[in-house]
Amino acid sequence: MFPQFKPAGDSALVIIFGDRIDEGINKKVHAVANAIEKASPDWLIEVVPTYTSIYVYYDPLRLGYQEVLEAIKPFLSAEPKEEKPRIVEIPTVYGGEFGPDIEFVAQYNGLTIDDVIEIHSKPLYRVYMLGFTPGFAYLGGMDERIATPRLEKPRLKVSAGSVGIAGKQTGIYPIESPGGWRLIGRTPLRLFTPEKDPPTLLQPGDYVKFVPISEEEFWEIYKREWGEQK
Amino acid sequence: MIELINVPSLTTTQDLGRYGYQKFGIPVSGVMDEVSARLANYLVGNHDNAPLIEFVLKGPTIRFRSSAVFAVAGDVDVRLNGIPIKSWQSHWAKRGDVLEIGTLKSGVYGYIAFAGGILCDKILGSCSTYLRAKLGKPLKQGDKLKLGYAILTGKEGRVLPEALIPRYSNESEIRVILGPQLEHFTEKGIETFLSSTYEVTPNSDRMGYRLEGPEIEHSEKGADIITDAIPLGAIQVPANGKPIIMLADRQTTGGYAKIGVVARVDVPKVAQTRAGGKLRFKAITVEEAQELLRKREFLFRNIKRLLDGEVRGYKIKALGEEFMVFVEKEK
Repeated sequence: MFPQFKPAGDSALVIIFGDRIDEGINKKVHAVANAIEKASPDWLIEVVPTYTSIYVYYDPLRLGYQEVLEAIKPFLSAEPKEEKPRIVEIPTVYGGEFGPDIEFVAQYNGLTIDDVIEIHSKPLYRVYMLGFTPGFAYLGGMDERIATPRLEKPRLKVSAGSVGIAGKQTGIYPIESPGGWRLIGRTPLRLFTPEKDPPTLLQPGDYVKFVPISEEEFWEIYKREWGEQK
Repeated sequence: MIELINVPSLTTTQDLGRYGYQKFGIPVSGVMDEVSARLANYLVGNHDNAPLIEFVLKGPTIRFRSSAVFAVAGDVDVRLNGIPIKSWQSHWAKRGDVLEIGTLKSGVYGYIAFAGGILCDKILGSCSTYLRAKLGKPLKQGDKLKLGYAILTGKEGRVLPEALIPRYSNESEIRVILGPQLEHFTEKGIETFLSSTYEVTPNSDRMGYRLEGPEIEHSEKGADIITDAIPLGAIQVPANGKPIIMLADRQTTGGYAKIGVVARVDVPKVAQTRAGGKLRFKAITVEEAQELLRKREFLFRNIKRLLDGEVRGYKIKALGEEFMVFVEKEK
């Protein structure tokens, strides 16, 4: 029953590869998305790969829906390349003013703060997709022992680089924004740099490893990444 | 160059959007009403994508520091050195002239285009301003904007025929293509969506318009989906059953089920509906939506040629309907 095809308005077609969050399905999504992007047909505006689907944005003045449907079929056989994934280390200060909710996360789950740090920094998290805000990575693979509901009242301002937990998900705020995630730490790395191409540190298919660092190390890396700006 | 003297909040520089970076989470942004913006650019002889000023409800005051040709798109009073002039026409300004733009009498977004376009340092290929991620800056008093080079002679005095001026109503029928997550709604929910009137709430901005009206019932699959992408005009329905229409500054991905997507030709109608305005939805097929878009673009090509002086335009009335007829000029 997969893949399925549907219009998403008059300028996008969705290809759906599955109905659950799964590494194999997601690898197929990125393989097909890359193949379409690489061929870059003249009717293509851009592709947006997600957990289980690809949004193919096209120019309906060049090609109608049925024609795009035919045109993408040859790409569906693209298979993921068996290459070693990139592992991106994310240096992170846990707790204190950098992660004001870490105590709550520990208490909520009947753990110590050190347990939370150990459990959170142990796995390799897969980057399933980017979206929501510039450079935000949807990470999979968090240990459910540290799952914690969101804040009831979101903060008006969360600093760029803040590492948080929302339910069974963990993530990093790439830019300063309002936010309701429980903050457990902060990385000095820049996840979104509009002057760079690609503009984001993380790419789909990467694996993320959080590495606990000290405050001194944080400010050292921070200066290198951000210069003097706060 | 132009200098901004008085700048209401939310006045920004925009073009038709930032494409190719949604997969990194970077919103398209760009003008909210591409019809008005493109017509403004045509009036001053620009191409479709030339950067221009977008204002919300109230327009800015601008001092020209060099000669320029400009046009204002919107239902608004405009004065040049205190003398009333018309919107939807191009005008010549000389160094020192002051352009004052009042408050829109209808619609939400107005545009000011300049021959040659506004020069900007492009970010990721576009001059569109996306304030949430600080891509570009909000325009403020004292800002000086450089204009691109253009031959000004012959660009002024262009007039958009009355019949072609967009009219914004506060009660519109909006055509939608149903899906892509129709299975997240009951038949009754879809019926409610297509037969009710929804009101635009004040809690609406460049990101999306929140609507108030009868609750749309979800199926047993519920309001949440595995997060996927959000196209322009997507109509999300969260658990409270109230639809949200996603517009220029929408986030690239989201986790609410989408009952439909507004046909591209009707997105400007949505964007120009004020808080309190009423929308009704009508389902059409993707093929119908694409045909409507092709027809609009055919008209737009001819409007551009008309304003560039390549064809003549006539309004004719036949069988009780009015048509615009474009006739090639004799060489």
